[in-house]
Amino acid sequence: MACSLYHEGECSPVLSRIRIVKYEALGRNFPSACSQCSKPRCLEACDHGAIRMNESTGAVFVEESFCTGCRSCLVACPFMGFHPVKKVAFKCDLCGGDPQCVRFCPSGAITFRSVDEFLMERRREMADKVILAAQE
Amino acid sequence: MADGWTGRRLRVDLSKNTVKVEEIEKPYREKWLGGRGFNSELLYREVGPDVEPLGPENKLIFGVGPLTGTFAPSSGRTTVTAKSPLGGGFGDSNMGGHWGPELKFAGYDQLVVEGKSNKPVYLWIDDEHVEVRDAGHLWGRTVPEADLIIKEELGSKEIHIALIGPAGENLVRYACILNDVYRAAARAGIGAVMGSKNLKAVAVRGTRPVTISRPDEFYQVCADIRERLKRDLMVQMLYDQGTWLLTMPANYEQGWFCWHNFQKGFHPDASKLSGENHRDNFLSHREGCFACPISCGRFSKIKEGKYAGEITGGPEYETLTAVGPRIGLLDMDKVVHNSKLVNELGLDSCSCGGAIAWAMECWEKGLLTREDTDGLILDWGDQTLIDRLIRMIAFREGFGNILAEGSSRAAGLMNRGEDFSISIKGHDMSQDDPRGLGFAFGIGFATGRRGGDHLQGLPCLELTGGFYPGLVEKIMGTREAENRLSPVKKPEMEKYSEDIKAIGDSLTQCSFTHNWSFAVQPEDMARLLSAATGMDISADALLRTGGRIVHLERAYWNRLLVGCLEDRCPKRFTREPMPDGPNKGVVFPEADLIPRYYDVRGWDRKTGFPLPEVLMEYGLEDIARDLEPCREKYLRKVQMENQIEVQTAEKL
Ligand code: SF4
Ligand code: SF4
Repeated sequence: MACSLYHEGECSPVLSRIRIVKYEALGRNFPSACSQCSKPRCLEACDHGAIRMNESTGAVFVEESFCTGCRSCLVACPFMGFHPVKKVAFKCDLCGGDPQCVRFCPSGAITFRSVDEFLMERRREMADKVILAAQE
Repeated sequence: MADGWTGRRLRVDLSKNTVKVEEIEKPYREKWLGGRGFNSELLYREVGPDVEPLGPENKLIFGVGPLTGTFAPSSGRTTVTAKSPLGGGFGDSNMGGHWGPELKFAGYDQLVVEGKSNKPVYLWIDDEHVEVRDAGHLWGRTVPEADLIIKEELGSKEIHIALIGPAGENLVRYACILNDVYRAAARAGIGAVMGSKNLKAVAVRGTRPVTISRPDEFYQVCADIRERLKRDLMVQMLYDQGTWLLTMPANYEQGWFCWHNFQKGFHPDASKLSGENHRDNFLSHREGCFACPISCGRFSKIKEGKYAGEITGGPEYETLTAVGPRIGLLDMDKVVHNSKLVNELGLDSCSCGGAIAWAMECWEKGLLTREDTDGLILDWGDQTLIDRLIRMIAFREGFGNILAEGSSRAAGLMNRGEDFSISIKGHDMSQDDPRGLGFAFGIGFATGRRGGDHLQGLPCLELTGGFYPGLVEKIMGTREAENRLSPVKKPEMEKYSEDIKAIGDSLTQCSFTHNWSFAVQPEDMARLLSAATGMDISADALLRTGGRIVHLERAYWNRLLVGCLEDRCPKRFTREPMPDGPNKGVVFPEADLIPRYYDVRGWDRKTGFPLPEVLMEYGLEDIARDLEPCREKYLRKVQMENQIEVQTAEKL
C-alpha cells in the first residue's frame, strides 16, 4: 500500500506497481515487480515516447502526458500496470531513487542495490559454497 | 463517496433473494467508527432478545473500518458479528488475512446477510456485481477444498473467500469462519450461524481504491508508526517466533500453562512446545495479514513421523495450547496436525479443545463411562482418540454430537461435570488462566462481551507493559500495575485496554500494534483516522467512542437479563489455588475486583448494568430507556438468587 499511496494518493492494490501473486492454501506468495531491465521491452514497445529511461539512474518510467493508453507495453511486459481511471500505463519508477517498498518492507525481502554490489554478493555466495564444500 | 470509509452497506436477504446497497451516513460513521462498532450497533438494533441464534432472524454481519485496506499498519482485519449460538448472547469474532480489505476494495464497509436460503449457496461479490450461487457441490467439503473449487469455477485466483467447513454446515455450536484458508474468525460460533443460513462462502473481488482525505499527511503518519514498529521489541519477537513466543514464559516464569484443562499451570516438559523449537524445526515460513509489518502468522511443516509432509497455516498460541496441553499433548507434530484438522473442518480450536478437555476430565474423575461415550476411552493425550473425536465433533457423530454443543451445554445435557466446563456465559475459555496471566485479564474474562476469552481487553500492559520503560506508570499512575498478580489499578487497566481494543477492532487495526506491543498509542490512532477521513478527532474523543461501543455490547447482554450474576469466572480460577509452578497458591480475587471494575465503568454494583446517566454521557439515551424495565426485572432475579444463597447457607 506504500506504493499506491505514495504515487496515487489512494490505497489500492490495483494501483500498486508491485503486486503479490498469492497461493492461499499453500501460504505461498510470489512478488512481482518491474526488474528495471537495461533494454526494456516496455520502452521498445511504446511508439509514443511515453516510456523513458532516466539518464543518470537508469530507472525506466512512464511520462504520463505522452501516454495514449494504447496498452502495447502491457503486452510486452507482465509487470506493467494500467490505471483504470486515468487510462494511462504506470510502472515502478524507483520512487526517484528511494524506493518506498524497500523502506517499509518489514522482513527485508526487498533490497535496493547497485548491480555491482548485487553481483559481488552473488559471487561471494557461490564462493562460500565452494569453499565450505572443499573444507568438508 | 467518503474518504477512508466507503459509506456503503451491502445487505443480502437469502430468504427473499434480494440485494440492497444502503448508505452509511457521516454522523453514524463518526459515532460508531466501523468494523466492530458498526456491527455491534446493527446487532443491537436489528437482532432482538427473542431471536433464536440458529434461526433465520439472526443476522450475520461482516464489518471493516475506515483504515481497512489502507497503508495503516496491520489494517487487514475484519469483525464478524451475530447472536452467538454458543453463549446465547452477544457474539463476534475478528479475523486477519486479506478478505476484509478486498470487501473494502469492492466498495463496502459492511455486509449483512439475513434470512435463510432453502438450499446451499455461496455469495459472489465482484465490485457492484452481487450474485447468490449454488453451493450444492461444495457442501461437505473442507475449507481448502471449497476454496479451490470456488476459485476454479469463478475463473480467477485473485479472489478472497471467507467460508465454513463441515462443522459450520452441521451447526456445531463453535464452528468458525475462515478466510484465505487459514485465517479464522473463530469464536462465538459464528460459523454455525453461517451454516444455519445455508451459506457456504462469501467470495469477493474488489478493484476500487480506498480514498484518503489528506494523503501526504496520512503517508507521513503511517511512515512514522512503521518506523517505530520496526524498532519495537515485541514486534521483533512476534516476527521471530509468532505467538509461540508465549510458551516458555507462560509455563516457566508465569505459571499459566493450561495443562489438563487448567488443573495445573505448569508442566516440566513444556519446552517441547517452545517458540525456538517451532521456529527451528517446524516453521515453513511466515505469513502476514494485509499491510502488516509484524507478520506474526506462521506456516508450519511437519518433517518427521506419522504426519510427515503435512503443511498448514498456523498454529498460533491459543490453538496450539487448545489442541495440545489443555487435552494432555506436548508433542509438536501432533499439535500442528490437530490444528490443521480443526481449521480444515472449520472448528474453533479453543472451544473444541475445551469440550474435549471437559470430557477427559469427567472421564478422569469417573463421571463418564464407556456407556456414555459410545465405547470410547477418554484418556488425556491419546492422539488416536483425539484425531477421531475432532472428526466426530465436526460431523456430529455419536458422542461427538454431544461435544458439538460446547462444554457448557454438554455438561447440562449429561447433567454432570459442570465445574469442569471451563467456560463463562457458556463460552469456553481461551487457554488463559488469570491465576498466572494476570488479574486485569481475569476481569475481562468474567465480564467479556462474548464470555470467557482473553480478547475482551487484551490488557497486555500487565504482561508486556514492563518492557516499555515508564509506560505503565504514565498511563496507570503507578508502576505497581506492571505486576500481573497485583490487584492495584487492574480495573482501570482493563477499562483502558478495552476501550483501545474497541477502537482498533473498529478502525480496523490489529490489537498486536496497540494492545500487545504499544508502538501505536491512542494519539496515533486518532492521527491515522483524522488524516484518512478528514474528521479530526482527538485521542480522548476516540477513547470515549471505544467506551461507547463497549457499553452498547454490555447492554446487549443486559437486555437478555444477564448481568452481575453471570460475570463469574469458573470456580477453578476463583476457588482452587494454583497447585504448583511459579504461582503456587494463587487464586483470582474476583469478589474484590469485579465490583471495583463496575465502579470504574460506572456500572451498578447491584446489577452489573451501566447506570442510566453513564449511558447518557456516551450518547446512548435510547439504550438507557431500553434497559430500565430490564434493570427492574434483573434486580428481582438478583434478590431471589441472594435469598436462595442465604437459605442454603442456613441449611448447611
Ligand atoms: S500504454 Fe502508454 S506507455 Fe504503454 S505503450 Fe501505449 S502509449 Fe506507451
Ligand atoms: S500482527 Fe499478526 S494477526 Fe496482526 S495483522 Fe499482523 S500478521 Fe495479522
